[in-house]
Amino acid sequence: MTQADVSPSSGGGSDAAAPVIGVRDLDHEYRPQRGKPVLALSNISLDVKRREFLALLGPSGCGKSTLLYLIGGFLPVQKGSISVNGAPVVVPGPDRGVVFQNFALFPWKTVRQNVLYGLEKQGIARKEREERASHYIDMVHLSGFEDNYPSQLSGGMKQRVAIARTLATEPGILLMDEPFGALDSQTRTILQGELLSIWARSPMTVVFVTHDVREAVLLADRVAVMTARPGTVKAIVDTRFPEGMGAEEIMRTREFTERVDALWGMVRSEAVAAGAGGRA
Amino acid sequence: MSAAASLFSRAAPLLILAALWEFVARAGIVSPGALPALSSVLAVFAGEFSRELFYHTWLSLVRGAIAMAFAIPFGIAAGILIAWYLPVRVVLNPLLQCLYPMPKVALIPLTIIWLGIGNLSKISLIFVGALVPIVMSAYQGARSIEQTLLWTARSLGARESEVLREVLLPAALPEILNGVRTALALAFILIVAGEFVIANNGVGNLINLWGQAGQYPAMFAGVLLISAAGFAVDRAFVALSSRMLAGRQS
Amino acid sequence: MTLRKAPAASSAGSAVQSEIWRRRVDFWGPFVTIAILLAIWEAASQMRLVTPFLLPAVSTVLARIATDFASGKLLIDVGMTLYRTLAGFGIAAICGVILGLLIARVAGLRWFFDPVVSAGLPIPKIALMPVFMLWFGLFDASKIAMVVFSAIFQIIIATWWAAHSVEKELVWSARSLGASERQILFEVTLPAAAPQIFTGLQVAFPLCLIVTLVTEMLMGGEGIGDTMLQNARYVDSPGLFAGIFIIGAVGYICIALLEWLRRRLLGWQAAGGASE
Repeated sequence: MTQADVSPSSGGGSDAAAPVIGVRDLDHEYRPQRGKPVLALSNISLDVKRREFLALLGPSGCGKSTLLYLIGGFLPVQKGSISVNGAPVVVPGPDRGVVFQNFALFPWKTVRQNVLYGLEKQGIARKEREERASHYIDMVHLSGFEDNYPSQLSGGMKQRVAIARTLATEPGILLMDEPFGALDSQTRTILQGELLSIWARSPMTVVFVTHDVREAVLLADRVAVMTARPGTVKAIVDTRFPEGMGAEEIMRTREFTERVDALWGMVRSEAVAAGAGGRA
Repeated sequence: MSAAASLFSRAAPLLILAALWEFVARAGIVSPGALPALSSVLAVFAGEFSRELFYHTWLSLVRGAIAMAFAIPFGIAAGILIAWYLPVRVVLNPLLQCLYPMPKVALIPLTIIWLGIGNLSKISLIFVGALVPIVMSAYQGARSIEQTLLWTARSLGARESEVLREVLLPAALPEILNGVRTALALAFILIVAGEFVIANNGVGNLINLWGQAGQYPAMFAGVLLISAAGFAVDRAFVALSSRMLAGRQS
Repeated sequence: MTLRKAPAASSAGSAVQSEIWRRRVDFWGPFVTIAILLAIWEAASQMRLVTPFLLPAVSTVLARIATDFASGKLLIDVGMTLYRTLAGFGIAAICGVILGLLIARVAGLRWFFDPVVSAGLPIPKIALMPVFMLWFGLFDASKIAMVVFSAIFQIIIATWWAAHSVEKELVWSARSLGASERQILFEVTLPAAAPQIFTGLQVAFPLCLIVTLVTEMLMGGEGIGDTMLQNARYVDSPGLFAGIFIIGAVGYICIALLEWLRRRLLGWQAAGGASE
């Protein structure tokens, strides 16, 4: 087991391949209807390695979601650069799948139709579409619910549909914005475990936004701790656990508790500052 | 309560009113000139005026239908495009702001001068009147869509036109259907008002003529028929809306 | 367990544009576009691109408004129309709100009025105009009665709904604090339902104006509607367009006044729309 390793800014270049996502000197201003623009992100530089699970951890309002949206291409880059697989990010695309906190399911489509949507957009043949959809619906344990509408599902089930829908298009990168934030803690724990096993089976690059320290330590290989607004990367901490360990197993280790403590120490002062309205 | 019993319970107050109407008229509490008995009004539908009544009501409804057939697709498209594209919004929105406070009936005299007193002026009036609530509801519906739905669609590979057609439109549908319902009610008002003023045919004209000629049961029958039509169309539309929104949360 | 709304996007594609521009366009747009439209209109008239019969020049119309104003006709017309509209609206508002509140509270009334009001709402009540003329004569009484009849259904429903959706907890708190039923109705339910009721009134007002105009067109008796129809009959285009301008202005001002009144009376309600 590796020691908790605290290092500022971009992590060590242990991976020989170029980073999948490269963020350089990124600034971002938020411009509200009324009032002055607010600096949301300041001077962010970050690399995400291929197939790694990176968590963006920070208090509310620190801009972590904004950073995720920028990587996703949903917000325009104002200053600095973001590149994915060597190319600059301009618009959203199927190479970066996204899962939102509010599920964002199409309420007029059934579970199956939701999952099929991305596959239809990619022009995949009908037979293969149906097979893939069934496969992923099964992977999230929702077989039997294909013909239900989102309004008939619980929060946890809706999020599973959202995950299945995104995974079905087999993106290389998965962007998740506090996906379990709207769920009760029991459902959250279950889904965390499922996400871990899904990711273990078909590893892809994941950028995961959360404000929950335990969640970050549990799920991620590395955690980028962000400061209160304007957000910068305060530290990047290695939180990898050996392969094959399940969620419950991990949470019982001493290593886990120590890492959570260490990270919380780092986050706490930022959380207090955020509560007071940010550092800016 | 069984379905039949609850239906009866809902209809009961109306039946009570109907009975009251019949009683008041028959008992001579009011003169038949002011309120002919319900039974004599209903008798008109089987009497000498019935053909004329049905024909002209049909004419009115067809005009309304034609106007709505154009207003609905045009209004929905306009509303969504105004919400979506800034240049469209810049040009069309102020026009809408002008039309909105303007009571469309004020345009009746205008349509007379521009389009004469035929079908075209009446249809145009209904078209313009129905357009405003439809455009506004489509606009509001499009504007209030969850940002994450649009982002999800794009990230799944949808092109702009696909996002508009496959995501924005269905998401705005509940609001749009509300707007169409309002437009339908407004259309009926404009049908009748237009025919009152441009008095050459249609059920509105008949009601007026019969009133002036002292044919009160027939006049009331006309009022009853067009009212029933308005009610029936509304109910049918509500049923249709429920089907179109099946599965979603109400 | 809070759900955040994602901030507005302004990505490179033709997405829903940023909020700042939307507000600017919303506010200045009407004036700018009207000005441009009027300018084009005037230019077209001056260049004789349209016949003055169909579309008189803006200058002619404005001149006509001035003469009508000077002669006092404009004030009489506007006054009569406003009088009928406001009288009808006022009666409908008071009776409608009271009835709506009572329906929300008294189960028996609800049983009776629910089908009646639901049936009455979608029917074109203007169709009863000749009946009203029969009953109330040919002057203001029938016009105002028609306005009341047309608007009251909507107001009753809006009030009823608003009162119905007042959170139970508010009423329970008041009751446990010792308020009587009557006090609860006027001091808790009414203020809590006020925003929705006011919205219902805001929707009903233009309806009152529409109905007033139709009754004037149908029955005469001075007023903007009557004048406009006369102008149509005598093919007096400038007069007709003057009427359109006036009614548009009157409608716009009334709606703006109602909005202002809403802010004054209901200022305690948070402004609608996220300002995040």
